[in-house]
Amino acid sequence: MIRVALTVVGLFLAVVLTLIVFGVDPVKGLGLIVEGAAGDKYGLARTAVRATPLLLCGLGVTIGWRAGMYNIGGEGQYVLGGVTGAAVARLVVPLAPGLASISILASSFVSAGLLAALAGWLQVKRGVQCVISTILMNFLVLQMLAWTVRGPLQESKHELPQTERLPNSLMFKRFDAQVDLHSGVFVALAVAALVWAALSLTRWGFVLRVVGQNRRFAFVNKLGPDAVQVWAMALSGGLCGLAGSVDYLGLVGQIGDGFSQGWGFLAIPVALLGGLHPLGVVASAAFFGALLAGGEGLSRFNTTGATLVYVIQAVAVLGYLYFVRRGRVKEAPAA
Amino acid sequence: MALSVQGVSKSFGNVRALDSVSVEFEPGEIHAVLGENGAGKSTLMGVLAGFVRPDRGAVVLDGQALRLGDPLSTREAGVRMVHQHFMLVPNFSVAENLALASAQTLWSGLNLERASRGPTSLAARLGWSIDPRARTGGLSVGAQQRVEILKATDGPCRVLILDEPTAVLTPDEVSEAFDYLREIRRAGTAIILIAHKLSEVTGIADRVTVLRQGRVVGQAAMAETDAGQIAEWMVGGRVTSAPTGPAEHGAVLLDVTGLTVLGDRGESTVRSVSLTLHQGEILGIGGVDGNGQVELAEALAGVRPHVSGTVSWPQGAPSVGYIPQDRQTDGLALTMSVADNLAVSRLDDPSARKGPLLRSQVLRESAQSLVKALNIKTPDEQAPAGSLSGGNQQEVVVARAISGKPSVLVAVNPTRGLDIQATADVHNQLRRAAADGAGIVLVSTDLDELDALADRRVFLSRGEFVESLLGAVT
Repeated sequence: MIRVALTVVGLFLAVVLTLIVFGVDPVKGLGLIVEGAAGDKYGLARTAVRATPLLLCGLGVTIGWRAGMYNIGGEGQYVLGGVTGAAVARLVVPLAPGLASISILASSFVSAGLLAALAGWLQVKRGVQCVISTILMNFLVLQMLAWTVRGPLQESKHELPQTERLPNSLMFKRFDAQVDLHSGVFVALAVAALVWAALSLTRWGFVLRVVGQNRRFAFVNKLGPDAVQVWAMALSGGLCGLAGSVDYLGLVGQIGDGFSQGWGFLAIPVALLGGLHPLGVVASAAFFGALLAGGEGLSRFNTTGATLVYVIQAVAVLGYLYFVRRGRVKEAPAA
Repeated sequence: MALSVQGVSKSFGNVRALDSVSVEFEPGEIHAVLGENGAGKSTLMGVLAGFVRPDRGAVVLDGQALRLGDPLSTREAGVRMVHQHFMLVPNFSVAENLALASAQTLWSGLNLERASRGPTSLAARLGWSIDPRARTGGLSVGAQQRVEILKATDGPCRVLILDEPTAVLTPDEVSEAFDYLREIRRAGTAIILIAHKLSEVTGIADRVTVLRQGRVVGQAAMAETDAGQIAEWMVGGRVTSAPTGPAEHGAVLLDVTGLTVLGDRGESTVRSVSLTLHQGEILGIGGVDGNGQVELAEALAGVRPHVSGTVSWPQGAPSVGYIPQDRQTDGLALTMSVADNLAVSRLDDPSARKGPLLRSQVLRESAQSLVKALNIKTPDEQAPAGSLSGGNQQEVVVARAISGKPSVLVAVNPTRGLDIQATADVHNQLRRAAADGAGIVLVSTDLDELDALADRRVFLSRGEFVESLLGAVT
């Protein structure tokens, strides 16, 4: 509890300090951020929509890291999820439009999950560290994105590097035509609840946490750490992929070169700031979503704009790592 | 007189590692220091080389008292050490390793040629061919040891300490190593050989000192003593022949024949071992550390595969409780709570499960009752296991191993590092488990522990069973 309170206070100070350093009146700046993030229904919707991919990817990162698998490939997995969704849309929509949403979501989960599971398998069986392999896979997927949107998945006029736009009827339900809020937000929240239950209440989640804390101990107690870690990577990647198709179905409806805004990378600090706890990640994703949404409000009045938001993120994460996670290094044995 | 150790004592916590030890090491003499694990050899070495500051006593080199606990000045004064685990940077060339050893400060400049000039001329004198540009990690173990020795003897070397120098060498390399030790002795250097076993130093040592429980228990010129006398010193007056335990044990639980197990580097550490274990029996396996005990225990606990031989369980598949040697890595998840650590053995217990869900209430209550029953000192069962003292951590490991009522229990040094009370607690737990019908394989380097618990004892020496500890130390 104390840690949560300190984190909140620390984040607030980080925001204020950054505003001061940038020469923005902190009271005015904070006001603009809060207004942009939560001042009206547009602001709230912006916050929720920005937070959605962060939440799903952050949960993915959490599952991987809790199992001792440092998945840095959320970005690539997010993009792969989106591209898979677009490919499946192209195949399935003409045949069975009723199955489109579910098959898009499921296929994005499976494809990104398989990619991450490959990285997990390589680490467990061949000693290739996930930290390296998943980063490299990011580049692979981004190249694949660039190729598909100019090749097999390009829109029918072959003019722009992007896929065909999904018909509105297949997109996630929007509650208000004027705002971006879509039902994918609730998908993300439901997934958060599921991940929390799986990690905290089930045998599977318990074993996963044991493996992440001490792999050798898990091995000696015959908990099968290899399989656990490959599965953890599969789910980790799967959730990042799901984030991609949720944004595809909820927000953009078509995939282009700039499909990802770095959500997969930003999800890592989101997960860390959330204490690698699913409920913490909900709060942390909401905070970063609000910061992004509020930063857009700020940038309309101040030239520092969005840059300022990234600086605040950096300060917050560094501060968090220094003050909160620092103690863990001493607790944990080198092994 | 070269090096004189005068009344040195050192305690770690309430363990007295050295107790008023006095020894004289003469120039031009090879002096073996023998003793079992925990006899105080490593601590004495540490004191001589300056790594350990003793509580009392002095070390005098040629009439000059050494600054104790200062490895650099000790080294400068001419007391040099060759470690058993080589202190070499594997990715550096031989010359770079030599330069690293002679570098005084970060800023003293680097001249590889000058740094390796002395050592290579010594190597030439000893008839060694050593390429200063070779990558150290690519050399054979014997050659790496030569680099260590060149490193140690570069500069003033009045006293050369070698820790288990032959343990890592092949027989050919051993005889070569002995040749150059004699060569170094000729120069008037005092040589100290640390060893577990008499056989490692016969044929080379001029004089032998035996340590037991931190005291010097015997010393003699090699010419004036024999193996029987030295073994007697090492083992003391303790019973060392295998006693015949009570015969009325139950059915055979475990039958092992011709078991061969590989170590981490692929060497065979357990060689064709056979044993049987009965219900209610405590089988003690003794011997000096590193003779295959851990690998044998891991194979029996199902944690390490065996390459040949059979392990059969006549009473059907057992539930094996395992108390591993290293509680910090194998025995506990230190960052997780005591309750979680205890829960690990109960994950498949029907009473603790409801489908995929764990009954956290059941697990917490059983953790609470174990903490209470074993008198584990912890604020509560939610405290991280790593926050407990070593003895209480060990009790958590023992509690987990025993709480599942295993039919077979494999325990490796279950009381290492524990105080008297905690040791008695753990011993009682083991006795109770045996009385309840479990068969226990107790691997311990502590003879007293085997005396106190085991119905039957065997000793491992180089991966094979021998009948008595005398066989294991000579």
